[in-house]
Amino acid sequence: MNALTPVMSVRGISKQFDAIKAVDDVSFDVYPGEILGLIGPNGSGKSTLFNCILGQLAADRGTVEVGGQAVSNKRSCDLSKLGIGRTFQQLSVFPEMTVLDNIIVAGQEHEGTMISRLFGAPDAGLTEQAEQMIAFFRLSHLRDEQAGSLSYGQQKLVDAAMAFMAGPNIVLLDEPAGGVNLTMLAGLKERLISYNREHATTFVVIEHNMEFVMSLCTRIIVLAEGAIIAEGTPDQIRSNQMVIDAYLGG
Amino acid sequence: MSQFAQVLLSGLSTGSIYALAAIGFTLIWQAAQTVNFAQGEFVMLPAFFVLVAINFLGMPLWLALLFGLLMAVLVLGLLFKKLIVEPMLPKTGLPLIIATMALSILLKESVKEFYGAEAQPFPDILPQQTMNLAGAVISVQDILNLVISITAVVALTLFLNRTITGRSMQATAQNPAVATILGIDTKRMVLYTFLINAGLAALASFLISPLYLAKFSNGETLGVVAFIAAIVGGFNQIRGAIAGGLLIGVLDNLTATYITAEYRAALPLVLLILIILWRPQGLLGTDEGRQV
Repeated sequence: MNALTPVMSVRGISKQFDAIKAVDDVSFDVYPGEILGLIGPNGSGKSTLFNCILGQLAADRGTVEVGGQAVSNKRSCDLSKLGIGRTFQQLSVFPEMTVLDNIIVAGQEHEGTMISRLFGAPDAGLTEQAEQMIAFFRLSHLRDEQAGSLSYGQQKLVDAAMAFMAGPNIVLLDEPAGGVNLTMLAGLKERLISYNREHATTFVVIEHNMEFVMSLCTRIIVLAEGAIIAEGTPDQIRSNQMVIDAYLGG
Repeated sequence: MSQFAQVLLSGLSTGSIYALAAIGFTLIWQAAQTVNFAQGEFVMLPAFFVLVAINFLGMPLWLALLFGLLMAVLVLGLLFKKLIVEPMLPKTGLPLIIATMALSILLKESVKEFYGAEAQPFPDILPQQTMNLAGAVISVQDILNLVISITAVVALTLFLNRTITGRSMQATAQNPAVATILGIDTKRMVLYTFLINAGLAALASFLISPLYLAKFSNGETLGVVAFIAAIVGGFNQIRGAIAGGLLIGVLDNLTATYITAEYRAALPLVLLILIILWRPQGLLGTDEGRQV
């Protein structure tokens, strides 16, 4: 796998809040089509790292390249056009829009010019594609429901569908399993794996649910106190004594 | 009955202008999570841009109105957003609200200083005739005020719901962090909101100034009434601001005609107290949960 050109390269990212080193000189590559897990105890710097990668937090040091292009100085809103998608730890739908409109909005900024968007059709010609995405995530029965009225797990699925709507090359998933019930979780994992196989989309997944992350990811990086302490396949991580001591426990 | 129709129409006409100003509170709340206490002055000032264009630049009325609209969009939209809101936006809450209060005083006192404290006649932009409709004497100006205001609100609603940019603005209002990640230029969407607010304030100014004359202190009353209208209708919904504006306009006229004119200024405040006690989210507003 390492012979491939990385889709994303993170080099020496550091972020400090007062005296606390939230992320400490973190470097790693993400390769095309892989599902990379980022795990670690609470406060280990996973979400801060995501925010630094996406420019939502300014890193103190370090660079991020996507597709060979430096993105550290890009605005967050421009990263989507470079093929980067993201889901959030908290619910992140537009609560007063329908499920269909949420998913259309997720793709519409890639359509047309600024002028055509001022006067263009509200669905940006994306209804059919959005319907397909809704069907893929098995949300067709909720198509016209207000997103804010859905259950937590259903909103997580809408959130995932939104992240994929613009056809990203790489998606950063921040705790996709958090708060999702077991039935829905199995469906979510199956959908993510299916999407990964069908579209060769690369995922970077932050997750605390070990069963979920071990069965979803092809490679895992473990963070503790802002630094990488281990990296390997799920089996290697399970048996890594340092990881067991710092995170997985006896 | 004919008197009732006259009073009702007149109330709807004034109320629709209040609604234009009240929508501004809602738009800015949705875009920047702040209350613009200079909104009344935003309605007062464009009339003076028009008067300057007519009296000092020698422009004809139509060109002066266009000049007033452009100046309003530039000063009350672009400059307000860039110079006051944007630098303070990360600190939302009290500092920005206090800044808008200071801006309110600055605008009011500047107009008083540079143009004078006297009420200034404002040219009629609509026909002054009356028409007889089923025994009721109806003011054409009232009808046109209502029609123009409703047209502006319908156009705004269509823009927000039926265009890609409108939907991006709604997405920005509902969840800016997610909108950004989806590629929406949220700063630009917020700017559009401020420009639209300035345009609506200018329209309200052009419609109300022929009725009440142009005076530096007009914003005091207008700002309070529009603020109350937005709360009564529902601060987070445009339809609420419209309902609140129309309701206050109509009740104000009905009270003054059939009960007493002495306490008409107190009516919006009574309404505000009743709504806060009975339905704090406003007549058409929705509950908002906030993380602290």
